Amino acid sequence: MQVRRDHVAGAVILLAGVLVLAASTDLPFGTLASPGAGMLPTVVIALMLAFAVLLLLGAGASPPIGAIVWTDAAHAWRVVGVTAVAVALYIPLGFIASIALLLFVLTFVVERKPFMQALAFSGGATLLAYLVFGTLLNAPLPRGFWH
Amino acid sequence: MEATLDSLALGFSVAFRPDVLFYAFLGCLVGTLVGVLPGIGPLAGISILLPVTFGLDATKAIIMLAGIYYGSQYGGSTTSILMRIPGEASSVMTCVDGYAMAKRGRAGAALTIAAVGSFVAGTMGVILLTVVAPPIAKFALAFGPPEYTALLVLGLVFLAYMSSTGLPRTLLMAALGLLLGCIGIDVMTGHFRYSFDIKELGDGIGIVPVAVGLFGLGEILSTPSKTVTEKVMPPRLAELLPNRTEWRQSVLPIARGSVLGFLVGIVPGSAHIIASFLSYAVEKRISKTPEEFGKGAVAGVAGPESANNAASTGAFVPMLALGLPTGPVTAVLMAALLIHGVPPGPMLVTEHPQVFWGFIASMYVGNLMLLALNLPLVGVFVTVLRIPYAYLYPLIIMFCIIGVYEVNHSIVDVWIMLLMGVVGYLLRKFDFDPAPLVLGLVIAPIFELSLRQSLIMSNGNWQIFVERPIAQALLIVCALLLSLSALSLLLKRRDWRAKLAQAEAGDGTDRG
Repeated sequence: MQVRRDHVAGAVILLAGVLVLAASTDLPFGTLASPGAGMLPTVVIALMLAFAVLLLLGAGASPPIGAIVWTDAAHAWRVVGVTAVAVALYIPLGFIASIALLLFVLTFVVERKPFMQALAFSGGATLLAYLVFGTLLNAPLPRGFWH
Repeated sequence: MEATLDSLALGFSVAFRPDVLFYAFLGCLVGTLVGVLPGIGPLAGISILLPVTFGLDATKAIIMLAGIYYGSQYGGSTTSILMRIPGEASSVMTCVDGYAMAKRGRAGAALTIAAVGSFVAGTMGVILLTVVAPPIAKFALAFGPPEYTALLVLGLVFLAYMSSTGLPRTLLMAALGLLLGCIGIDVMTGHFRYSFDIKELGDGIGIVPVAVGLFGLGEILSTPSKTVTEKVMPPRLAELLPNRTEWRQSVLPIARGSVLGFLVGIVPGSAHIIASFLSYAVEKRISKTPEEFGKGAVAGVAGPESANNAASTGAFVPMLALGLPTGPVTAVLMAALLIHGVPPGPMLVTEHPQVFWGFIASMYVGNLMLLALNLPLVGVFVTVLRIPYAYLYPLIIMFCIIGVYEVNHSIVDVWIMLLMGVVGYLLRKFDFDPAPLVLGLVIAPIFELSLRQSLIMSNGNWQIFVERPIAQALLIVCALLLSLSALSLLLKRRDWRAKLAQAEAGDGTDRG
């Protein structure tokens, strides 16, 4: 049997539904006259499982899993990785250092723009954003451990 | 009618205040830019700028955010006509004939027809909104929890019925959204649900990190920079005015698109996208020269552009009058009102008339602003289009981080946004539409509350949903829609939704 797109999607959702259902055992369902905190989640998970089964049943008509184009994945994961590092550093290093780093790495390393252009862009854009949000709009941006 | 005019006068007294005019202008300008730039839609734009409105009062906030929404419908036509890239999904149909007109040296005329059509449709939409919304709100005052439960179910089923990705996939996404909406403290019993000892999850998952992640970051991850073309077909500004024949050919399509768009806009779903698609199909079908479509037919620009603007206005009817978001954009706008302590719904007209009528009046003004903005500043927008995407998307990521963090000053929210960005990317790969997920997340608290209240007031008798006439009627419509969908699935008929899916896929490939 050829594995198709909806086989994978349906199986993942089915598995996720079962796991969430297992994590819901401590939530009281209550009764119809006095519904508890677990009632809606249980009903919704049941619906999710039902739709996942429907997806699996109709999966034969979906394209093969190999037909999904992943040519953009390498770029996407690079962007996610760089953003994750910037988010991790956002509080400890503060807005200016972490965002300037994010912009520089994305333009110089990921997009391979010339060093000086990337440097000027990341520095300029960060300072402009700091002026607009931090100074003009008075938004409390993180200032890092050195403050 | 006299009362409506009096109320509208109150609205204009709010809308003409200099500070309110400024925020309406800002919303329209940002909306036009959001519409012009490929890779960032109105939802991402509104979500990113939502935290900026926290310092404003509810009226200014909603006026600015709504300006972004209907402004993006104007701006979307610019890239469609000049670059054959839909800046916004609802401008897909404009690419076909708009770009063909540009290739024939009629770019200026196409832009003017799109802007005038958008203005007429937007204004007509607001007039209809002025007339229709208050009586619907008055009628909805009779709604109790069972009616609201049935209405929300109908909203979700309608969304699934109108969806181009199919009923099970859409309802699956809506269920996932409802489940995410269950995270946090249960307001009726005080139980913590799925918060896994993370105190930031106690208040639940916010709409902003989810919407920004799915639609802002998710879109960026799906758009590798090397595939974004920057070739612009420059308009001949000297030929900005359409000739007499082009004006004549655009009058009726604009009128038809306005009415059709408004009606489609009221219905839950990706109304502005569906409206432009339907309008194009209608214009082609009734045209005496259908062979001209695809080669630069004026009606192919005028109809869809009018329809998508009217639809964006029509979508405000259920949001304002019933408190029912019909799509992700109205869901975020509704969340914005809730954050400002103004619950949308039937009580909005009576309890917050300044917000309701100020908002409506601002849309009359906003449409005028957009007409004035879009034509003379087309050169500026073309310049914006020349910013390389390799520089543009890092800036968007920066705005996403700032926007999400500033909502609650919570880094957990930023991590949720990043996670949702990855989820949004994967959902697109597996052909799931993330919009119902956002809708489910927004309506989850209202849905759960009305469902549980209904069951409590009937002492556990579920028949309360079929015994009350309004709830019964709404559920009958649900059943009909589900039956129609099942029938369509069984017959494997290629209907208009399949064609819409194809058009939306075309949008993606154009970008790519």
